[in-house]
Amino acid sequence: MQGVLGAFAEIDSTVHAIEDLKKQNFSDITVFTPTPRHEFEDVLDAPTSGVRRFTLAGGLLGLSFGYWIPIWISDYWPLVVGGKPVASWIPYTIIGFELMVLFGSLSTVFGMFALSRIPRLTMTVGYDPRFSHGDYGIWVVAGPDRATEAADVLRKHGALEVRNER
Amino acid sequence: MATIAPPASRDELVRRPNVPSADNRLPGVRDYEQVDHDVIATLGFSWGWLISLGAAVFCLAIGALAWTYQIHEGLGAAGYQPPTMWGVYIVTFVFWVGIGHAGTLISAILYLFRAGFRTTIYRAAEAMTVFAVMTAGLFPILHLGRPWKFFWLIPYPNWRLIWPNPKSPLVWDVFAILTYLTVSATFFYVGLVPDIAVLRDKETNPVRKRIFAALALGWRNSDREWRHFTRAYLFLAAFATPLVLSVHSVVSFDFAMALTPGWHATIFPPYFVAGAIFSGIGMVFTILIPLRKLFKLEHIITINDLDAAAKLCLFTSMVVGLAYLTEFQVAWMSGNKVEQEYFWNRVFGQWAWAAWIMLICNMVMPLSLFSQKLRRNTTWLFIFSIFVNIGMWFERFVIVIPSLSHEFEPWQWGGYHPTWVDYAILLGSFGWFFMWFLLFIRQLPVMAISEVKEIIRPKMRHRHDTTHDLNALTIDPTLTAGDD
Repeated sequence: MQGVLGAFAEIDSTVHAIEDLKKQNFSDITVFTPTPRHEFEDVLDAPTSGVRRFTLAGGLLGLSFGYWIPIWISDYWPLVVGGKPVASWIPYTIIGFELMVLFGSLSTVFGMFALSRIPRLTMTVGYDPRFSHGDYGIWVVAGPDRATEAADVLRKHGALEVRNER
Repeated sequence: MATIAPPASRDELVRRPNVPSADNRLPGVRDYEQVDHDVIATLGFSWGWLISLGAAVFCLAIGALAWTYQIHEGLGAAGYQPPTMWGVYIVTFVFWVGIGHAGTLISAILYLFRAGFRTTIYRAAEAMTVFAVMTAGLFPILHLGRPWKFFWLIPYPNWRLIWPNPKSPLVWDVFAILTYLTVSATFFYVGLVPDIAVLRDKETNPVRKRIFAALALGWRNSDREWRHFTRAYLFLAAFATPLVLSVHSVVSFDFAMALTPGWHATIFPPYFVAGAIFSGIGMVFTILIPLRKLFKLEHIITINDLDAAAKLCLFTSMVVGLAYLTEFQVAWMSGNKVEQEYFWNRVFGQWAWAAWIMLICNMVMPLSLFSQKLRRNTTWLFIFSIFVNIGMWFERFVIVIPSLSHEFEPWQWGGYHPTWVDYAILLGSFGWFFMWFLLFIRQLPVMAISEVKEIIRPKMRHRHDTTHDLNALTIDPTLTAGDD
């Protein structure tokens, strides 16, 4: 992957640079920010995270498993007390609930990892350690023909540093 | 997330503060660099830390020796005598589970409620949760005659074709506590990932840098990562919220499902949950106030944050106090002689000393927090928190012991005298808890760096509408005065 990386000290400059890049039809833009901010959500107009689907699937799986285990155990080893049903769904709701939370939480984290593409073994191109401290970064995927154009936009908005990476 | 600088194309700015910035100001912090610097400075070595760790390990060693002795001698070494076959271990188990609850309350429930004061204190509280639940989990095992068979409670396929009884509250406990430990540890770690990335990028020691790089999972602070992270964090908080309520309810079922006088009451789940949160906030103060002083973090963990937590403590103490009084009222109104006699015995009989420690520490002393001056006095908050810890341990003592030693028939009446083994293991549990906590504060940030940064105004190149400028907001001088 080839592109241009720009580092900014100010949030408004970063937002304006992204807007300009989008106007000039650069579509593959990644923003690095030390803390999540709505400004970037707004300007990037990214779709809602799909983590919720993992949460729902994990929660339903855990709930079903949490009911199934005690019902199966009760039926496997039936102890009839006072003529009451062997499997009693009310107390089993506790186990169902706990496993719903357990599976739902773990699948949420799995979903976050999968969608964010982590764990990542290398930092790949387009990252600078300063982005975890105070600066903002914009990584624009651009071939050799458009790299200068992207770099000009970043510089125009006050980038501290602009460099080509591949 | 918060919005200050709008995209240039937008005429109107919609300010959308979220959790970290809501109602929270840190006038003593200039910029992101200062946050990094001040929080990372807490990881430095100090002799005070080493001495504290040594003391914690020493206490743990005493507990471990006592347990070894108990395994060799049998459970009789632990002061159990019929009819009181639950003692200090179960009391301490409930105590530590309760301590854990405030961490989840602060990190998850207050997150959903958009309570800004949680931002600076939640990481320490969350760590406290994980280590408290780890400590609590030891006690049902310590309480077993053959502790190496503890896994029999887990429903796993086995050649004996024997399964635990899923209608038993003890089995619910296994599911609840293991889920709570797993979810709170996961929530804790997920929140740490962006902060570990900060440490990775700052670290100069190659070995530590590699360890941080592995723990940070290649986190790059990209918009994609943050988008999924914030959503996942929200869902985890949404799961943790009912979980925290359910876990202590399930712990209360260990008692409430039995027909024993004093236990068989529907009030137990809310009573236990409120007590857990109250005791947990007490422990948060015990940990946070020295930490704040030692690491000079008064400008980040502000007196306003402690004041807000103290109000929460006051509220939960009143819920707990109401539950205590309701128990007496229910016994009085029930017309049940056994129940009435039990409650009389609790406050005026055999166990009066324990009950009055509980009532004074948990009902009377918290009333001091109605005074704003005391809520904003960290010395008082620290002293108060020690009494809360003592009071809440005795609350569990008062729940467990008097009921078992005074059941229906006179032959079921007896006493209970903890032995040195009980006390040593209780001390060891504090050693175990503080050992993990001290190791944590030396290796990982004790405050959520990325969330604290959300409170700080970011650098701006151009002037924007100052009505939305956080720095332009007037700070009431009374809110920052009165520290210590």
